[in-house]
Amino acid sequence: MGNFTRYLIRRITAVLVMIFLVMSLNFFIIHAAPGDPVTIMTGLENPSKEIIETLKKKYGLDKPLVVQYIKYFSNLLKGNLGYSYVYDQPTWHLIRERIFPTLVLTLTGSVVAFILGIYLAIWVSHLRQRFGETIVSTVNYILYATPSFWLALILILIFSSKLKILPTSGMYDLRASYHGFRKFLDLLRHLILPAGTLALIQLPIFYRVTRTSIIQSEKEEYVTTLTAIGVSKEKLFKKYVLKNAILPTVTIFGITLGFSITGAVLVEIVFAWPGMGRLMFDAIFRRDYQLLLGIYFLMAVLISIAMIITDILIAILDPRIRIT
Amino acid sequence: MKLKEFWKRYFEHPYGVAGFVIFAVLLFMAIFAPLISMGKPNEMSGDILSPPSLKYPFGTDHLGRSVYSRIVYGTRVSLSVGFVAAGLSALIGIFIGAFSGYFGGMVDEVMSKIIDSFLMIPVFFLILIIVAIFGSNLFYIMLVIGLTTWPRNARIMRAQTLSLKERAFVKVAKSLGEGDLRILMTHIIPNGMYPVVANSALQMGGAILAEAALSFLGLGDPNITSWGKMINEARTYMAFAWWTIVFPGIFIILAVVAFSFIADGLQYALYPKLKEVEESG
Repeated sequence: MGNFTRYLIRRITAVLVMIFLVMSLNFFIIHAAPGDPVTIMTGLENPSKEIIETLKKKYGLDKPLVVQYIKYFSNLLKGNLGYSYVYDQPTWHLIRERIFPTLVLTLTGSVVAFILGIYLAIWVSHLRQRFGETIVSTVNYILYATPSFWLALILILIFSSKLKILPTSGMYDLRASYHGFRKFLDLLRHLILPAGTLALIQLPIFYRVTRTSIIQSEKEEYVTTLTAIGVSKEKLFKKYVLKNAILPTVTIFGITLGFSITGAVLVEIVFAWPGMGRLMFDAIFRRDYQLLLGIYFLMAVLISIAMIITDILIAILDPRIRIT
Repeated sequence: MKLKEFWKRYFEHPYGVAGFVIFAVLLFMAIFAPLISMGKPNEMSGDILSPPSLKYPFGTDHLGRSVYSRIVYGTRVSLSVGFVAAGLSALIGIFIGAFSGYFGGMVDEVMSKIIDSFLMIPVFFLILIIVAIFGSNLFYIMLVIGLTTWPRNARIMRAQTLSLKERAFVKVAKSLGEGDLRILMTHIIPNGMYPVVANSALQMGGAILAEAALSFLGLGDPNITSWGKMINEARTYMAFAWWTIVFPGIFIILAVVAFSFIADGLQYALYPKLKEVEESG
């Protein structure tokens, strides 16, 4: 078995353990919460006899805890995310249409932060004096410490309330029903502030990782050797250092996707972006816990998929993992 | 390592100094809140949404309460959340990491898998869901943040334990017949916990951000004044009263930046050879 196969198997195991962990935590929460599981699962003060009977049967609520645990698992594994009694719809149906907006927002924000972070790190590496680096890293510390929801509000205050150039909320202009390319432009216009917030919040992570790995790559022996035989600094940087330095940043891209989705949820709430975060927020206040746990589980699955894709991407970019 | 030498190195680091100064100011505000707040945080007045002035340094909110007084009292909340949550997280992480690394075997194997997976979970949602279902008071919030963020500390402590276990003084102690528990408590934990302390400084900032986000979502303790809650209440009025939203945010940033700076200073004092310490994991 190749190194890479073994590596991939290890990663997939870790991801499966994580999904298992999330399912267990969800089960634990339902049963440890004050009030009985039926109330927690339905979110209704007085669920009808029918509902109670269905739930009891489906999750074995009158059986011992071990049986309930197994039933809970088998339901989830069958893709049954539960039923929202508050909306009177299967949870999956509610979440389904929210996945796309969340992915658009999260990925746009992350990709912009990824590119900006790398560029900033490269730019700083070319600076001759230390002063520039101090400023950039101080700004990064501040962005790292900024709450996403606050930054979102401040951007709304500046660009929507004062300058009146960008919309405050939503994904499309509801008064104008655009089609085709116009619709896409409308989406972009609505995307600028929320995705911009997300990108700024995540910038420090990508900057810091790229910067650190550029410093480390420059210390490698082959760099010293190539400098000694007269390869120009510029060429060396572009051809060798940068390539090696970006790999850890790609890894971080996958690892931080969970973090990005967290950021996205808060940003979605501020901008009334019709994604999973907004749904989650409503679920909290309607006490629709089944929906809440369903969203959480699905997010864990999405993050797992993202991580495995990242691993494969790394293997394509870095032949050292693929060969041997 | 000598403690004196450690602090001397810490204060060589410019960020370390800056972090310490900001932290000292915030701590002063928290302790002496009644003396410097110029009024009570919940005292309403007729001056509704009035801009910053001598009487109200940061202006007033929609109920005529002084934004400055509320921020001063909010320092107490944020700092206690930081300390209690990160402290609990460090305590759990140190013990689980040390035991897992020291005894090894199957327990360690399973523990490591759980720690690795836990680090992938979006923890903030877990905190959010637990607080939403179990109810929101400040004590719960601190407890939940502490209980869900220990895995990183455990991972750091485990790595420390694995390397300390092979060191001569631990082996000597073992050959002299010292018990495992004694070795853990007197040799491994006191010598290996410093990197966890540095990470805890970072986690204090994280805990402050988490509490602010919960309060912003309306899941904070309803009986206290916190910076996140102030931002939540100011949302509706921010377009014509920027001060209600700008100042609480600046203080959240100050507190979190202070702890990141302190974490950097501690890292530098711990590993003087590394100029840039790579983010672990």
